[in-house]
Amino acid sequence: MTIAARLRSWMRATRNRSRMEGEMEQELRFHVESYADDLIRQGVPREEAMRRARIEFGGIETHKEECRASLGLRIWDEFSSDVRYALRMMKHSPGFTAVAVLSLALGIGANTAIFTLAKAVLLKTMAVPHPERLRLLTFSVKPEFNINGWGNWFRGDGGERVGTPFPYPVFREMQQHQQVLEDLVAFKDVYKLTATINGEAESVDGELVSGNFYTGLGARVIAGRAISPADDTVSAPAVAVISDAYWAKRFGRSADALGKTIGVNRVPVTIVGVNAPEFAGAKANATPELFLPISLQPQVIPDRQGSLLSRDTFWWVLLLGRLKPGVTNEAAQEALRANFLNPLRATYPGKGDKDLPRLLLGSGRRGLDMMKGQFSEPIYVLMGAAGLVLLIACANLANLLLARASVRQREMSVRMAMGAGRLRVMRQVFTESMLLALLGGSAGLALGIAGQNIIPNRFEASWRTSSIRGEFDWMVFAYALGITLATGLLFGAAPAWRSTKADLNTGLKETGRMTAGSGRALLGKSLVAFQVALSVLLLAAAGLFLRTLVNLKSTALGFNPERILLFQLDPPRTRYAGKQRTALFQQIEERVATLAGVEAATASAEPLVADSMGNGCYRPTDRPARSNREDMAYANSVGSRFFETLGMPILYGRGFTSRDNQTAPKVAVINQRLARQLFPKTNALGRSIATCSGDTPATFEVVGVSADAKYDNIREDAPPTIFVPYLQDDEPWSITYEIKTAASTASVAAEVREAVRSVDKDLPLLEVRMQTEQIDATLSQERVFATLTGGFSILALTLAGIGIYGIMAYTVSRRTNEIGIRMALGAQARGVLAMVLKETSVLSLMGVALGIGAALGVTRLVKSMLFGVKPDDPMSFVGAAGLLVIIALAAALIPARRAAGVDPMQALRHE
Amino acid sequence: MGKQADLIQGTLDMLILKAVSLGPLHGYGILLRIQQISKDRLEIQQGSLYPALYRLEHQGWIASEWGESENNRKAKYYRMTAAGRKQLQAEAAKWNRMAEIIGGILETVPEEL
Repeated sequence: MTIAARLRSWMRATRNRSRMEGEMEQELRFHVESYADDLIRQGVPREEAMRRARIEFGGIETHKEECRASLGLRIWDEFSSDVRYALRMMKHSPGFTAVAVLSLALGIGANTAIFTLAKAVLLKTMAVPHPERLRLLTFSVKPEFNINGWGNWFRGDGGERVGTPFPYPVFREMQQHQQVLEDLVAFKDVYKLTATINGEAESVDGELVSGNFYTGLGARVIAGRAISPADDTVSAPAVAVISDAYWAKRFGRSADALGKTIGVNRVPVTIVGVNAPEFAGAKANATPELFLPISLQPQVIPDRQGSLLSRDTFWWVLLLGRLKPGVTNEAAQEALRANFLNPLRATYPGKGDKDLPRLLLGSGRRGLDMMKGQFSEPIYVLMGAAGLVLLIACANLANLLLARASVRQREMSVRMAMGAGRLRVMRQVFTESMLLALLGGSAGLALGIAGQNIIPNRFEASWRTSSIRGEFDWMVFAYALGITLATGLLFGAAPAWRSTKADLNTGLKETGRMTAGSGRALLGKSLVAFQVALSVLLLAAAGLFLRTLVNLKSTALGFNPERILLFQLDPPRTRYAGKQRTALFQQIEERVATLAGVEAATASAEPLVADSMGNGCYRPTDRPARSNREDMAYANSVGSRFFETLGMPILYGRGFTSRDNQTAPKVAVINQRLARQLFPKTNALGRSIATCSGDTPATFEVVGVSADAKYDNIREDAPPTIFVPYLQDDEPWSITYEIKTAASTASVAAEVREAVRSVDKDLPLLEVRMQTEQIDATLSQERVFATLTGGFSILALTLAGIGIYGIMAYTVSRRTNEIGIRMALGAQARGVLAMVLKETSVLSLMGVALGIGAALGVTRLVKSMLFGVKPDDPMSFVGAAGLLVIIALAAALIPARRAAGVDPMQALRHE
Repeated sequence: MGKQADLIQGTLDMLILKAVSLGPLHGYGILLRIQQISKDRLEIQQGSLYPALYRLEHQGWIASEWGESENNRKAKYYRMTAAGRKQLQAEAAKWNRMAEIIGGILETVPEEL
């Protein structure tokens, strides 16, 4: 009640301030005059009456001020005058203001952008009710337990393998018997489905979902209906729900989309609903366009071994469920373990419970989250670097403000002498720093929003659409505001505290420049040393990341990536299966090879340096298999001209030819490392090797030994690798073509596209890129680190230069007198110059030492992200230290020369 | 005119509320009313009346509007609000209780201890 009244009264007073002042004046005058009239009536002469009335009323201005205070206007008045004053100060020193706002904008902008990224890949939860109670089911398993499947694996805390996929029959069994979850749902993301709409084919991503997926999770549709359990049966008509984005892109949000039949891998499917815009399926940061009942798997993505839905030992579906309210994680895990073991005991009768996989409950708030593992560490590094920049900017500003505060010492003393309280003076200094912080913060927020997708885009391959989207929302705003206020407090604290330490007597007596004692210089110097230390830390990190990137880029690959065009084909299995598939791949390979501008063409199941690989266990036929690890080899199925096209030397024997086909004996080329692994003492050529497992192990004759080459990534040494002709594969999965082009590559891509279209017009070319781009894409994290820390370092160096210039210029001006005396007593200009530079060196070396110490402690944390450099790499550290000392001396040169140029006569008269 | 007593800290607000509770008044009128009821036994610094009036209005206990004075001049009149009436009752009750306690203490004679 009274708060509302006060607010109303305050609003009334501030909204029409001049009217309120006028009325107050009128009211008080009325009082004085009425009293005077009464006195006149009592016989006092007019003049005397007015005089007495005024005296008895008291000081009119004082009472007015008290009235204003009563209305809560005083704080407002002081605040607005502080703001006006601060703005005036900013206008008077545009250089300082520019440095302050710009450095804060960059610091806050970088932090905001990185926070936006962090929110997208670490914090954003699935758009369903109660995501905090969602649990993703995983299991840990002993290495001996052989699992045949399709899905993602983690390394668990205890080093054990942790898997995410489950056999579909296990899901059905658990879903029926479990009691601790509201419901258990299954899903699987499938990529590169061919969707045919109105005769036009394009590649889309999909998610297969169990019939209870929508009700079980509480996911919303905005048009039509969701997929229901009735859709998830073998005999039900094929239906799909599409994403809101796909609805907008392909159908312009038209209602006609509902009920429309489209081809999905050539299977006719009817669209029945559209997802809510915020719901993007159960895999974090994935954006599937089509949601299909899981019962469609045998039709849409057929497997040659039959339906995956009935296979007890093929692990592939992901399970997600929401804990019932009040059920603890432990209780649920215990209960679900029993539900999980029951079907497994039947499937794997020879195993005891101890040897079977152990069910684990993981957080499901983001669904299946592959991003977290991939991005959490890099994001902490980036946040650390951006935080350092902001701290450096703060230290720099605090120092510059301190220097200004000492210039204004006299003014502060006057204010305090006239009765301003310490708090009042502090408030004024804080208003100034907060205003600077808010200006910098607003500019930074704008920068952060503008650049929110720059970093995510750098993380991902250039030829793909970005899957991480930074989104501006209240959380980002709150974060930016929070760090802005914290920044303002941080860099405003020292000057504000300092300003109230003004000693009134000396402050008023002496001239401005002589006032502050050595305390202020010490505080400023510590701030500069701190700033230098942080800059060294940042520079050392930048050096490490830069060297990592350079080392990775100059690593020997073992093949020649220049002028090689890559593209992938993944024809629907519903159209091309078995031999047909191989034939199609071969036909396109031959066709492309004949194009003008193509020097050679080949294909492989796995592209090189693309973070993907196949592997298996291989042994010489004349000995039994050893452990999985000892006989593990990476495998790739390749075309006949693979080795020539990629410039991978064959050291002994031969490569493949087109005669190594289905009807010919199976052959293999192994690399040197595998040759050493399988045949340590003897010649590998002509020997035969076999796969370790399987009822009828495949055997291959080794016809060649190739030089070692990198396979899935360039960080690791070339792995032991076996190559087999894809022509001899039973059924190749997808394939990537490698096309060596003549000098100009631009026109070749179009020609290739045309050639593929002439074979089958419904085959989309996927992931078209150059091999060099492909390699660069796997280095995205290293490049982001090197670029960002490098950029931040340049900023830090600039600020360090400004900071050192500021403190030395201040020191010199404060000591003009002393320098004058020294020179009068015979000191040389050169000696004075050396003195200032020496002081700078001591200051910066102290900072450097501190920074190196901190860097030694911190860089160890990023050890796993480095390549070819140790975390205490001397070159990076010495480089960082040297660069800073040079910048420091350069920045101090101007004040040093000013000191050397001091005219003793003038300096002494100055007193 | 006998000797005037200084106003006890914090009582001015209560007196203003009491004065206004008898009917709308302008600032000078309030001063006169208080002097009249107190039979000129209280010393009030005239100017300090206004910060108190502004404070009371700010808190919503009195309200003001411009009107005509007895001698046909524009004057700002204050009147009591419902919230003010409650506040006055509360203040008065508090005052009376306090006066009773203090009075009781001061009237204590040695034999009673």
